[in-house]
Amino acid sequence: MGEIAKNNHKKKFLKEGFKGGVSEYHKKYLGTIVPKGYFVKSKTSILEKINKEIKTESSKRTKKQLVFWIQPHFKYIAAASLIFILSLTVWLQNKNTDVLKVNNLELFSFSDDVLINSLWVDDADLESYADVIIINEILIKGALFEQKIDDLFLNSLFVEDSLIDDYTNDSFIETFIL
Amino acid sequence: MSKDAELVKKLKDSSLKDTAFSELLDVYQERLYWHIRKIVTTHENADDVLQNTFIRIYKSIHNFQEKSSLHTWMYRIAYNESIRFIDKNNKKNFDNIEEVSDSNLEVLFEDDYFDGDEIQKKLTKIISLFSEKQKRVFQMKYFDDLSFRKISEILEISESTLKSSYYTAVKIIEEKIFL
Repeated sequence: MGEIAKNNHKKKFLKEGFKGGVSEYHKKYLGTIVPKGYFVKSKTSILEKINKEIKTESSKRTKKQLVFWIQPHFKYIAAASLIFILSLTVWLQNKNTDVLKVNNLELFSFSDDVLINSLWVDDADLESYADVIIINEILIKGALFEQKIDDLFLNSLFVEDSLIDDYTNDSFIETFIL
Repeated sequence: MSKDAELVKKLKDSSLKDTAFSELLDVYQERLYWHIRKIVTTHENADDVLQNTFIRIYKSIHNFQEKSSLHTWMYRIAYNESIRFIDKNNKKNFDNIEEVSDSNLEVLFEDDYFDGDEIQKKLTKIISLFSEKQKRVFQMKYFDDLSFRKISEILEISESTLKSSYYTAVKIIEEKIFL
């Protein structure tokens, strides 16, 4: 009798299919169980966790929007303007540097020439050059200028005296004779 | 319109989403829990993975394109979350699969929420000897009562391979269980 029951159980064991509740089924065949009221608690816990995550995400999103937000259709215009301004700045900078470069080169070459040439000039030459300059520019020119002033003064004196003489002579004779 | 299709419609409507999600939990929470529990072994682990699964479902419901049923889509998420959990934990503790399998049995039998007798322990031991795929196929078909078509969609294996794998597993169990 016991052998028959065992055989019947053996036949049924894997052929009963899915009957009743899932948890009951697992308890019956696998011996696995869950704490009492687990699914109710778990549901509440899942819903709470979701609400918490949503709140955190939405607060993150709001913070991000406060830092920087731009409407989608303005994005391209803003990006294009930014690129244009940047490229214009770079281009202008390069342009100015070219002009500066030419000017600087000329300036540098000129100063270099002067410095290099000055090194080659002999001290004696420099002194004789300075003497000539002093004689020509200061002494001779000074003497000529003085002479010019003397001439002017003498001329003015002679002219004035002769006019007075003429006047005095005529008036003197006239008064005396008359 | 089927119940699931109606539920999906509500879940995608932001004003009805929360109510619909509560409804979704009522319908699928228990089934998904057991699906997960068989993969991750203990109640504690299953609880963690179940929470992550439903959070993922909530966040990605707007991406659900309804190419498969809602039921299949959720099982797939639960399966992926469980595998991710196992990978993460096994990397920390074990060097090979056999070690993992033996250790899982020990952990299961010592779990506070395991109340199995000798025959249930034996069945669990036989299942643990199956390859990973055969184990999943058998569990999904026998304990979760999923159709071969749905299992094929979840595991991305052809139906014919699944059937062959399942019937081989059943034969092995029938032969070994009352030895």
